Amino acid sequence: MKKILTILTVASTILIVGGCKKYLDSDYLFDERLTTEEVFTNTDYANRWLAKAYSFLGSNYMQDVSSKKSVPFNFADDMYYGDESDGYKRWKNGQYTENGLNGESKEIWNTAYKGIRQASIFINNIDINKTLSVKEIADMKGQARFLRAYFYWVLLRTYGPIPIVPDEGIDYTKEYDEIAQPRNTYEECATYLSNELVEAAKGLSTQQGIQQLARPTRGAALALRARILLYAASPLANGKAPAEVAAAMVTKDGKPLLSPTYEESRWARAAAAAKDVMDLGQYRLYVAYKKTTGDAAYPATVTPPFDSNFSNSAWPSGWSDIDPFESYRALFNGTVPAYQNPELIFTHGQNQGGEGINVLVLHQLPRLEGKGYNSHGMTQKQVDAYSMNDGSDIPGMNSMYAGRQGYENRYNTLPRATGFVKQEELSKYPELGPLGVGVNKQYVRREPRFYASVSYNGSTWNLLNAESVRDEKSNVQIFYYRGDPNGYKNTSYWPRTGVGIKKYIHPDDISNVAVTAYDQSRMKPKVDPAIRYAEVLLMYAEALNELNGSYTIPSWDGTKTHNISRDISEMKRGIQPIRIRAGVADYASDVYSDQNKFRIKLKRERQVELFAEGQRYFDLRRWTDAQSEESAPVYGYNAYATKAQADLFHTVVETPSLPSIFTLKMWFWPIHFDELKRNKYLTQNPGWTNPE
Amino acid sequence: MKRFILLTCMVLFGICLNAMAQEVIVKGVVTDEKKLPIPGVSISVSNVPGLGAITDVDGKYSIKMPPYQTLVFTFMGYDKKEVLVKEQRVVNVTLIESEASVLDEVVVTATGSERKIAITGAITTVNVDQLKSNPSTSMADALAGVVPGIQAMQTSGRPGSVSEFWVRSISTFGASNAALVLIDGFERDMNEINVEDVESFSVLKDASATAMYGSRGANGVILIKTKRGKEGKVNINAKVEGFYNQLTKLPEFVDGYTYASMANEAKIVRNQEPLFSKTELEVLRLGLDPDLFPNVDWMDVVLRDAAKSQRSMLNLSGGGKTARYYLSGSYQNQQGMYKVDDALGDYNTNANFNKYTYRLSVDMDITKSTLLTVGVSGSLRKQNDPGVGSNAIWTALMGYNAITSPIRYSDGKIPASDDGDNDPNNDMDRFNPLVQGTMTGYNESWSNNIQTTLNLNQKLDFITKGLWFVGRFGYDTYNNNYIKRYKFPELWSANRYRNTAGDLVFKRIKEEQKMTQSAGSDGDKREFFEWEMHYDRNIALHNFGGVFKYTQASKVFTQNIGTDLKNGIARRNQGLAGRVNYNYNSRYYVDFNFGYTGSENFHKDYRFGFFPAISGAWNIGEEPIIKKLGWVDMFKVRYSYGKTGNDNLGDIRFPYLYTLEQMYQRDTNGNIQYYSDGTPIGANGYQFGDYESASRPWGGLGYTSVASPNVTWEVATKQDLGIDYSLFHDKISGAVDYFYERREGIYMSRNFLPGFVGLENNPSANVGEVKAHGIDGSFTFKQKIYNVDLTLRGNATYSKSEIIERDEENTIYAYKLQEGHRVDQARGLMDLGLFKDYDDIRNSPRQTFGEVMPGDIKYKDINGDGKIDDNDIVAIGATTRPNLTYGFGVSASWKGLDINVHFQGVGKSTYFINGSSVYMFNLGQNWGNILTDIADSNRWTLGVNEDPNADYPRLTYGPNANNYRASTFWLRDGSYLRLKTLDIGYSLPKTFVNKAHLNNVRFFLIGTNLLTFSKFKLWDPELGSSTGKVYPLSKTLSVGVSVNL
Repeated sequence: MKKILTILTVASTILIVGGCKKYLDSDYLFDERLTTEEVFTNTDYANRWLAKAYSFLGSNYMQDVSSKKSVPFNFADDMYYGDESDGYKRWKNGQYTENGLNGESKEIWNTAYKGIRQASIFINNIDINKTLSVKEIADMKGQARFLRAYFYWVLLRTYGPIPIVPDEGIDYTKEYDEIAQPRNTYEECATYLSNELVEAAKGLSTQQGIQQLARPTRGAALALRARILLYAASPLANGKAPAEVAAAMVTKDGKPLLSPTYEESRWARAAAAAKDVMDLGQYRLYVAYKKTTGDAAYPATVTPPFDSNFSNSAWPSGWSDIDPFESYRALFNGTVPAYQNPELIFTHGQNQGGEGINVLVLHQLPRLEGKGYNSHGMTQKQVDAYSMNDGSDIPGMNSMYAGRQGYENRYNTLPRATGFVKQEELSKYPELGPLGVGVNKQYVRREPRFYASVSYNGSTWNLLNAESVRDEKSNVQIFYYRGDPNGYKNTSYWPRTGVGIKKYIHPDDISNVAVTAYDQSRMKPKVDPAIRYAEVLLMYAEALNELNGSYTIPSWDGTKTHNISRDISEMKRGIQPIRIRAGVADYASDVYSDQNKFRIKLKRERQVELFAEGQRYFDLRRWTDAQSEESAPVYGYNAYATKAQADLFHTVVETPSLPSIFTLKMWFWPIHFDELKRNKYLTQNPGWTNPE
Repeated sequence: MKRFILLTCMVLFGICLNAMAQEVIVKGVVTDEKKLPIPGVSISVSNVPGLGAITDVDGKYSIKMPPYQTLVFTFMGYDKKEVLVKEQRVVNVTLIESEASVLDEVVVTATGSERKIAITGAITTVNVDQLKSNPSTSMADALAGVVPGIQAMQTSGRPGSVSEFWVRSISTFGASNAALVLIDGFERDMNEINVEDVESFSVLKDASATAMYGSRGANGVILIKTKRGKEGKVNINAKVEGFYNQLTKLPEFVDGYTYASMANEAKIVRNQEPLFSKTELEVLRLGLDPDLFPNVDWMDVVLRDAAKSQRSMLNLSGGGKTARYYLSGSYQNQQGMYKVDDALGDYNTNANFNKYTYRLSVDMDITKSTLLTVGVSGSLRKQNDPGVGSNAIWTALMGYNAITSPIRYSDGKIPASDDGDNDPNNDMDRFNPLVQGTMTGYNESWSNNIQTTLNLNQKLDFITKGLWFVGRFGYDTYNNNYIKRYKFPELWSANRYRNTAGDLVFKRIKEEQKMTQSAGSDGDKREFFEWEMHYDRNIALHNFGGVFKYTQASKVFTQNIGTDLKNGIARRNQGLAGRVNYNYNSRYYVDFNFGYTGSENFHKDYRFGFFPAISGAWNIGEEPIIKKLGWVDMFKVRYSYGKTGNDNLGDIRFPYLYTLEQMYQRDTNGNIQYYSDGTPIGANGYQFGDYESASRPWGGLGYTSVASPNVTWEVATKQDLGIDYSLFHDKISGAVDYFYERREGIYMSRNFLPGFVGLENNPSANVGEVKAHGIDGSFTFKQKIYNVDLTLRGNATYSKSEIIERDEENTIYAYKLQEGHRVDQARGLMDLGLFKDYDDIRNSPRQTFGEVMPGDIKYKDINGDGKIDDNDIVAIGATTRPNLTYGFGVSASWKGLDINVHFQGVGKSTYFINGSSVYMFNLGQNWGNILTDIADSNRWTLGVNEDPNADYPRLTYGPNANNYRASTFWLRDGSYLRLKTLDIGYSLPKTFVNKAHLNNVRFFLIGTNLLTFSKFKLWDPELGSSTGKVYPLSKTLSVGVSVNL
């Protein structure tokens, strides 16, 4: 009996222990949860994973063109904002801290790196998918690679050189000290991104479907590559940074982050990269064709003054059959669907964060008539940049900066036009439309892009979605005189320079911000021109202009070689289409032959053509023009003058509420203290302080 | 398994019953040395299980037994006596009172009971009697100052609240620093058990004692064994006690006039208009307008002078040779301190706490070598609180000053304080304390716990001598529920000025809320199973022993577990443990312990850990040369070294897993939103189409938490060097231990990963490291002076911890790191007294917190950068929780009278004081009060007392960012010494008692917390509270009687 008991006891014990081998194991349950492997084997999940990587691109902090709350980079010396409790003043005066203006110094950094991690995991895992075809995988991988490069690009332009994390991602289980990593140099970043984008381009389709237009294409990858290489060739990164910037931009070991020496070949590399995009043959500038009749909102084509090169030919070699004003206006204001826009290379599409283009627009809309905020305006510098319709400079251009360093050959002291358009003169100025009476003559006979971009005093706003039941009117002239509903008042909502902005405005657009803060219900939705072909052409022209020697550079995929040199006909391939589409005369031949003259023209062309596209802030820095341009006082019209003092109003005066300075710390955005504390090899940008 | 045991039992029971034949009847009387009969002596026949008898009141017995067997007489407190029965039929026996010797003292360890002399680890056995005088319902409250090696803190006096305690020291800043408490081998709540049911209470402190618990032993282990029935006649114990509780130290506040005058002073010294005019002050002083200038002593209005509680318990035990039982029940009731307005409702709003416990255990000898124990125990607790809860009342009591509002306006309206805005979302309007205490409904909660235990003990001597087996199985269920019935009356506030007619102008602060209810519940289920194999053998002078043990335990929450799979998975442990010990002639001991344990919480590769410990002891007292001395009863030196772990990561489950989640748009309640066709709307994704296209955005998918694959338990490496001694025939005895511990791999969230890693949430890792060392010890001195038995006792625990490594951000100021400091180190600015004058301000580093004036606090510029800011914050003082706990006492007995005095104290503890009653007028009007101690202190007063070393700074009406921040100025020493217990008892003479067929009757009077000595006077220092806004501790007097029959 006892024996039986013993045996039973022992046996049952063994049984229990044996049966409990897996006592602690819960994996049988966890196996039922979603696994990483499953995500990438299941095409639907994989797409969602990729969508999450994209979602960071849709964040406020990753936008190229947007209103100002999260990234103010759209507002350099060309446009400003009057609301946000003097936000522009703090922005332009560098009165922000290492946290940024609204906390963005941490957010831009973190958002980009989160996106980079999400994309990297995709790249490293998607190959296990068996349902997608090889081509589809290559395309999706290309997208992820493009995204990763784009996030790095946003970091690079904002902070300058940044740490490039390993392809497989950082092993977060390591010690902090092992994780720490110094910044890579500008050239390392550019080379890495250039290679990455070539890799991306190999896999990406040349075109994405109509429902997929926000996905990058091969062209997008190559265009982004061209932009990054252009920046790397530009003076700031290419051996010509101001000494104090170069000296402060170093790793803890003292390694310079900005190239200490100038290498002309970098320009050639950038030109070749732009050429790669042009050689795709896929993109062309958007044009609207000539109209013989029209109305206030869609006027008949105003034919530009005669130019021997362009007037007699049809697009693309001339402007005889196109409407330059509408070509430029329709490109941005939502008229052209993104998918049908042959110029659009990359866009965030609908994913513009909470401060997208329509938020920009509703800040531009007049207060009373457009029911917007009427708080964004244009500086005199930008107004003067638009030439006369024959391509000549406006009398008095940049006269306020006469003698200022950096303005050599960029101003004239001719008297500005005076007088106002009378009813009987109106037919002489078709560019003003039917409602031009009372417009100052400084605003007549300007190039077409002026009328698509500038809300000068007395310009017509169409507001076609106005509803008479709400007592709203369409096609009204907007004046900024003190005493007018949109002029100076004791609130934030008036343009300080007496000039508003019209770019991105669709004739239909009207808002109702008094009811809904960001009301966009009666606006045409618009995609952002993150990268468009015009920029690629301008990059090509700019890079070529800087060359003295000639270079042979293989194309992106190595299938051919580009012979790159300062070839005027090639430069014209870059600059002329922009001028033709805009209906402005060609440059004189001495401009083409003189590197300096051409450079001045090109910079101005970028200022005008790419206005309000988030480019100028970064352009001024890469050209190392920021010091002279951004410290120049902001000028505008005398917005304190009433209608009775109309002449006084149209006098250019310094705008005291928009002071402007430039200091060392404004070259690059500050790196947040948290990041500096947590990565012991990281170095702060020039002029910014370190924690403690 | 269970069925198998039951079956076996039944079969065996039948066999046993057949084993008797050919019997004789033996009779006799059992007496003590004084020839007095002893009732209740149990008599058994050795080798015949299930046969036995018990002496009656006259000490007589009669037993039927086979001849030529040995009769065994046992009785508690007397030596066992064995008599061989041959032919005699009358066996009279005299039992000799046993002289308890330290050598025979038994200690409960991880592997069972062992003689104290054989222990090589650091184990404290607690004298359970010392825990019995504690008036609270929780045993944990009694530990401080009684048990060497335990530090404890009672942070609230609210009925039903429970002390926090730690074994030796807090040597981790991880998720858990709580000791593992095992009751009858299973992890159960110490506060579930009634102290009268405790047979033994041991604290296992070092690695050798806890290694067997493997990954769960690092914070120390407490072993509690409950009482079991003993063979013999029925033994009945009953005890009834009544308590009278008063609060130890109630903060005292100034009257309305003083408050108003000081408010005026606060305004005036900051160049502001005074708050009250002279006339108003007079009106207030004379009490002419109780509506607008009331003067209310809220403490008096809301609190009783004293509260009563009671406790009673009854236990029965007894049984025969084959089966023994223990049955007990207890009831405790603790009343709260709040006054009740019976006119307002038929329900009770006072805080009170009721606890019922029961316990039943039966031990059955199924065969000579098989013991089966079945136990059922449980508790039911009920708690009542006012509708707003206890904390809200104490907050209001300290926040409401004498002039905030009257108790009621003269027209009967009920007042509340007005926060000055009409925004219901920013609701700082406060109910007055009386409303909170009596008019907000009530909150009822109850919980119950049922524990079942089955235990099988099988001797396996037939396989090899000294081998035995124990199997245990336990099953517990617990549930807790509450119903809160909440309401409040319409509340008003009168404007400061009357209207022209002289009437009060009212503003309605709150509309009446009729009673509503909310309810909730939670619960869990636990299962335990373990078995042990023991082997003990002596061969000549060599003694061997070994234990091998398997355990598994699980706990699963049964309610409110949500949708996450992780929450529904039981927390489980599994382990093998063992012990091998050897000693030579009770002189040299070596002991090896190990635990190989695992937890479900970790990844497969990190699931199991091996925790070895080795220890040794040299019993110098047993060396012949020392033995010859004659006065050394025991002198033992022991040392242990080993590892244990801590697998408690708090609420984080399965950190090695990542969580992937598809993101969906959700409404404010968290419900997924759908398109009209029923497809969920994705979120955190991207819209790839153009505006005009009808494409839907892709929802995102990503990690909502990342995996921390390598996470595992914390490992403590512990060393212990100790001495146990007993000298001069146990006159002097005690133990001293020095311990050193290094805790590595403390589990922490990695909060300082740089952003460029790109994670959206923080992983965790075993990163922290702490070392701790200290001393604990106890001392007892016994002496008989004439007829008085006198015992002096003392014990102390001191520990110091130092953080070696922790998840911290880089800083150039090393002193800002927690590294190198104690766990829970207090931090703040260092004050240099108060500014003397404006010159002093000008000549001192700039203080960046706000404007300063003479009389404001001056701080030290630690980093010498010429300004005072957060970079000047350094470690100051000690830690909030004490590092030194001690207790001492004396007990004496003379004839039936016994007296026991016990003092308890703590040292090396500091905390900041702050809050609305310390930071005077910090919150301005209507909130905050002035403590009398502060008002009467040497405080800085313009023109009156401009002492730069004053106790309190220049007053400010409203916030003062410079003065009111953590600094040495507000740091207080938390050390105290208190007369914890005074216990006087009188036992009726035995002769007298026995006539009434009783064994023992003792009347007693117990006082607790009667006296407190502390430098800190504002409130009870033991609370460790920085604001004083908690239910204070009680000072208790109790009277009771215990009866044994």
